Amino acid sequence: MDDIDAMFSDLLGEMDLLTQSLGVETLPPEPPSSSSKEMNFSMGFADMNVESLNELEENDLDALMADLMADLNDTEEKLAAELGGQKEAEAPHPDLPPASHGLSFYPESSLSTPTSPERGPNTFSAPLADSPAPIFSPPTLPQHAKLSTEEIEAQMKADKIKLALEKLKEAKVKKLVVKVVMHDGSSKTLMVDERQTVRDVLDNLFEKTHCDCNVDWSLSETNPELQLERGFEDHENLVDPLSAWTRDSENKVLFQERPDKYEVFKNPQNFYLWKKDKKTIKDMKDRDKELLVEENFCGTSIIVPDLEGVLYLREDGKKSWKQRLFLLRASGIYYVPKGKSKTSRDLVCFVQFDNVNVYYGKEFKNKYKAPTDFCFVLKHPQIQKESQYIKYLCCDDAWTMNLWVTGIRIAKYGKSLYENYKTSMKKAAITTAWTNRTAGTTSIPSTPSPTTKAKASGQANGHAPQPPAEPVAKVGNAPPPPPPLLPTQILPPPPPDPVLPPLPPPLATKKSPPATSVPRQLPSLPTSFPPSPTSMANLPPPPPSLSQDDSSESPPDFLPPPPPTLGFGPGAGSLPPPPPVSFLPPPPDPGFPLPPPPPDPAFCPVTNRDSLPAPPPRQSNIGAGAPPPPPPPPSASAGLQSIPSVRRTGPPPPKRTTPPLAAPGGGDFMSELAKAMAKKRGNQ
Amino acid sequence: VGLGKVRSGRVSMAVWDLSVTVEDLGADAPPITVSVTSDLHIGGVILKLVEKSQVKRDWSDHALWWEQKQQWLLRTAWTLEKCGIQADAVLIFMAQHKSLRLGLPNGLTLRLRACFSGPVFRTVLGICKMLNIRRPEELSLLRPVEEKKRKKDKDLSEELHDLTEVPLTSVSRPCLYNGMPAHFADSLQTEKVYKMLSVSQPAPAPEAIAKLYRPASVVDKAHIHSRWLDSSRSLMQQGVQENDRLWLRFKYYCFHDLEPKYDVVRLTQMYEQARWAILLEDIDCTEEEMLLFGAIQYHINKLSLSEPQTMTSSPAMDDLDSALQGLEVKLDGAESSPQDMLENLTAPELNDYLKIFRPKRLTLKGYKQYWFKFKDASISYYKSKEESLGEPIQQINLKGCEAAPDVNVAGQKFCIKLLIPAPEGMNEVYLRCENEEQYSRWMAACRLASKGKSLADRLFQSEVQSILSFLAMQQTNPNTHTDDSMSINTHSLVSPRYSKKYKVKQLTPRILEAYQNVAQLSLTDALLRFLQIWQALPDFGISFVVVRFKGSRKDEVLGIAPNRLIRIDLGVGDVVKTWRYNNMRQWNVNWDIRQVAIEFDGNVNMAFSCVTADCKIVHEFIGGYIFMSTRSREQSDTLNEELFHKLTGGHEAL
Repeated sequence: MDDIDAMFSDLLGEMDLLTQSLGVETLPPEPPSSSSKEMNFSMGFADMNVESLNELEENDLDALMADLMADLNDTEEKLAAELGGQKEAEAPHPDLPPASHGLSFYPESSLSTPTSPERGPNTFSAPLADSPAPIFSPPTLPQHAKLSTEEIEAQMKADKIKLALEKLKEAKVKKLVVKVVMHDGSSKTLMVDERQTVRDVLDNLFEKTHCDCNVDWSLSETNPELQLERGFEDHENLVDPLSAWTRDSENKVLFQERPDKYEVFKNPQNFYLWKKDKKTIKDMKDRDKELLVEENFCGTSIIVPDLEGVLYLREDGKKSWKQRLFLLRASGIYYVPKGKSKTSRDLVCFVQFDNVNVYYGKEFKNKYKAPTDFCFVLKHPQIQKESQYIKYLCCDDAWTMNLWVTGIRIAKYGKSLYENYKTSMKKAAITTAWTNRTAGTTSIPSTPSPTTKAKASGQANGHAPQPPAEPVAKVGNAPPPPPPLLPTQILPPPPPDPVLPPLPPPLATKKSPPATSVPRQLPSLPTSFPPSPTSMANLPPPPPSLSQDDSSESPPDFLPPPPPTLGFGPGAGSLPPPPPVSFLPPPPDPGFPLPPPPPDPAFCPVTNRDSLPAPPPRQSNIGAGAPPPPPPPPSASAGLQSIPSVRRTGPPPPKRTTPPLAAPGGGDFMSELAKAMAKKRGNQ
Repeated sequence: VGLGKVRSGRVSMAVWDLSVTVEDLGADAPPITVSVTSDLHIGGVILKLVEKSQVKRDWSDHALWWEQKQQWLLRTAWTLEKCGIQADAVLIFMAQHKSLRLGLPNGLTLRLRACFSGPVFRTVLGICKMLNIRRPEELSLLRPVEEKKRKKDKDLSEELHDLTEVPLTSVSRPCLYNGMPAHFADSLQTEKVYKMLSVSQPAPAPEAIAKLYRPASVVDKAHIHSRWLDSSRSLMQQGVQENDRLWLRFKYYCFHDLEPKYDVVRLTQMYEQARWAILLEDIDCTEEEMLLFGAIQYHINKLSLSEPQTMTSSPAMDDLDSALQGLEVKLDGAESSPQDMLENLTAPELNDYLKIFRPKRLTLKGYKQYWFKFKDASISYYKSKEESLGEPIQQINLKGCEAAPDVNVAGQKFCIKLLIPAPEGMNEVYLRCENEEQYSRWMAACRLASKGKSLADRLFQSEVQSILSFLAMQQTNPNTHTDDSMSINTHSLVSPRYSKKYKVKQLTPRILEAYQNVAQLSLTDALLRFLQIWQALPDFGISFVVVRFKGSRKDEVLGIAPNRLIRIDLGVGDVVKTWRYNNMRQWNVNWDIRQVAIEFDGNVNMAFSCVTADCKIVHEFIGGYIFMSTRSREQSDTLNEELFHKLTGGHEAL
């Protein structure tokens, strides 16, 4: 067993190397007319040497094969679709995602909807959408029907050339084989091309893992050398940041739940009203939260939380940390120079966000003698090693750190963040709806507010694995038929992917001694598993005192929102005008009730949600929370780190210091791959 | 009841004389006297008056103004008795629409006919309709800040744009003609007015900015807000006379449903108001923000000058445009495919001898010349042109780099400073070009490459052009004065504080740097970007009033924002407390002691009296913002005027 494990990790090491060497574009000299399918891949994998292939674990090979095939099919489909002049439907996920056969669905979702906002018309994806060759689409341009046959032939020829060229271009598309470390410590190998966004890859992973698709799932990168971690944003292209990794990098891509990812949309008050007293923040009504999101994200301009506070700054090159008063504005982070006021004109710009990303720092107390372990870092994504160009900041507590990191993300990404969130919500809602339906629960969307509150108290009491106990008791009165087992269990997995026969080695075996290379620092990071959406909802790690308050004062919250004393409240949402109260006599006048906050939670006029299917945003709670909780899986976080440490003992990776120049194609990759697989099988 | 009947019955009432001044007859004309009885209604009085005046004209816009009571007699069915008019009443018969000099957000003055008899809210609706500004409830009128009378340079020839000839009836329906509302298309003069409204004004001279009034403190800013007119009373009632000057401004800073297609004038004027707020330091921003504002202004100026046609776009034209564009794209796709795509695959290159300098800690080596090749977002250099077929000395990938100018036109120094990210940190590299032309090409290439674009990108040429034109601006030495219309004194793009702090020479390169990030925006996008950055400023949208809180002994400042009230310490300027409207339960105004009392959720109460502004103004601000917040929920586009008055009116309204 040990041997196998060791070998496996070696292989993974190899894979990693390959991963980085891939995607080096080499333009094939072949004439454009040759449309051999293999070509694409022989280029993409120019560097992959045969030995390493032979040693690949079968799983990986299979997975890779699947990806490659999918890719091929996809290309074919695209071309076909184009020829047919049909706009291939974007295959909007139907109500019921065919989770039972992941793979058949996968190629479409992941590949036929590449989003490449930046690359524009140069990439292959664009033509798919908007340039059906006119000749083949008589409906749009009927006059073409009158063309003579020669003309048509000429056009067809031109079109073929065009197609060939497009294939060439397609061939140029950078592809990476990425090993993703899963929440349970296992890993999956995916092929990602440069047009795919993180969202696409997540969807892909959802299909592969059958996890609940809650909005917290994210891909993040870790940099062990700098002890950094950052969640990718869903709209980012995954290949870009990965390309910045160095040859010998120990960086990893993690697939995990990050409650901090969209916390700002779930509990905006924590960020936008951080100055308010804790009680106000805690007692925030759902409707008020929605209002806050609306105010700050739906206007003509995105409003960045107005953070200000004393943070520690690591002095350039020195070991010391110095306190400064920092302010966050949409245009960057500023500090107040000594002896100056906080007025805008006196502020000195510390950093602007165009060229930097924000990262969480891990265990900086040890590494850099930071005052606390709640540090964050701003650096250019391409910087991978210690450098004077990295800016290190340290906060007093996790809460403050979360405020700042989230604030910076809002300033940097603006509207995209909210769009990402809405997309994630949709995804989650669809999945939940499906789960509910199969579960046969009578899950009428219960009024959100009690559920939410229950959840709050549950969370305060302890950590996620248990909380279902209390709230579930309430919700689950009507005992639902046993829900489908959560797919990630060891139990017979959902019908295996046709091309991906064995699922990765049983998760449990991966539970090895806890390692430290990717420490979970955020108190908020999930130590929990499936039912977590519930617990996540208000997870921004507030100082402990807050959560205590939470639990002690929660009871009254179970009540439906108290109707405001005035006759104005309920149902006021749409028709604000209050009964015209006279202003005439001075004081005793009962006054003038206010239109804005209709406390009625059932009335939910946030326009953005319109597009969502029936379940209200918090629906996922119901899906996850209602059924009796499945046994918690083996502690996810513990298992996570084992591989890397072992893996690195493998043969020292070849170091390269110069940027990779395109190496000439390494032969016919596909046939090598086939051989390797055959060999594997033979060995068994 | 019986008694009343008897009294108002057929008992013949005493006939008495009522004298009325008819404004149109001139100031010197004696009042016209008509014989009336107390049960004659106002309409009857007017009829008699018109008959007696013997003037044949359209009197339909005229009404009676009661001087002593300062009120209009607009209910023509009411009798004199019901109105309380007796023989001693001083009545004036005059037009309800009078000419008004309206200061626009862009600083220009427009003469137009506005309604003097309806509540100011209604007057503003009328004005906005005429100017084609949607969502008029966000605007209001205020009295201008008195200009310091400088007799010398005041030749009173301030350019007036006149709209008084536009018949009021033609404004009713917004139909478009030639890309502008029909009532502007009547004459060349009105077309010019529309252009003035819909195209942003060129940058003002720095001296002009310096001369204008700038609020120096938050108290000064508070005083400005004491000038708002009361929306529920008419202009006449507030002492506004014909031909008086008023400012039209956006008052409520929540801009609902901004749609560039239909909001050309609105967007432009909003931009102008924002621009002036920044230039006059009405809203504070940081230096970096100021430079970016400057850069966008420059860009907008340039676009407004070069493509005035964009403004006269109508929805129909837009559709046509987009259709044409779509067609173009299709043709592009169909015709040029193989060639174009080949070209894209084999991207163009730049080749030149340039000098390079890589500052390293210990070396003092200067610039060395090499043969440079730019291709595919990276730069390679070789010993000489001849060796350029072999291996380069080095290849530098520019993706993700920062390219900053290091230019001194007068000194003929054209350097590009590159900060190139590498795993170990950022590498600094300087490239020195020979002249403007070479510099602009290489700089443009570096800019595009830093964003991962190649030279094949169609933005390349425009990037080159904009760099060239910016370089031209730096040649504003007094001796080599270029007559390029594009050249702007960059001091006119920033507030006087920064004009004082930096010389043009220092300022221009920094604005140029900021400009690179916005240079590709279309005019509309640039306007929107400017507004977005403005709205993202922390102090955006806060109107200040000096107040005295109940129980407090000192004056404090109340900031009124679209979503909250802010209590600000007058001395330090710190925010003491904020209250959000959506936690507000009710608010009351005690009109006798002029005190505003507000109750929030959780039994939080506060009360204050107003020092710098009348409490009606504060009341109206709060009610106004509440009103604005109701709009989003309302499906219909119709303006609920009644609700506005209910929320803002106070006792006069009822």
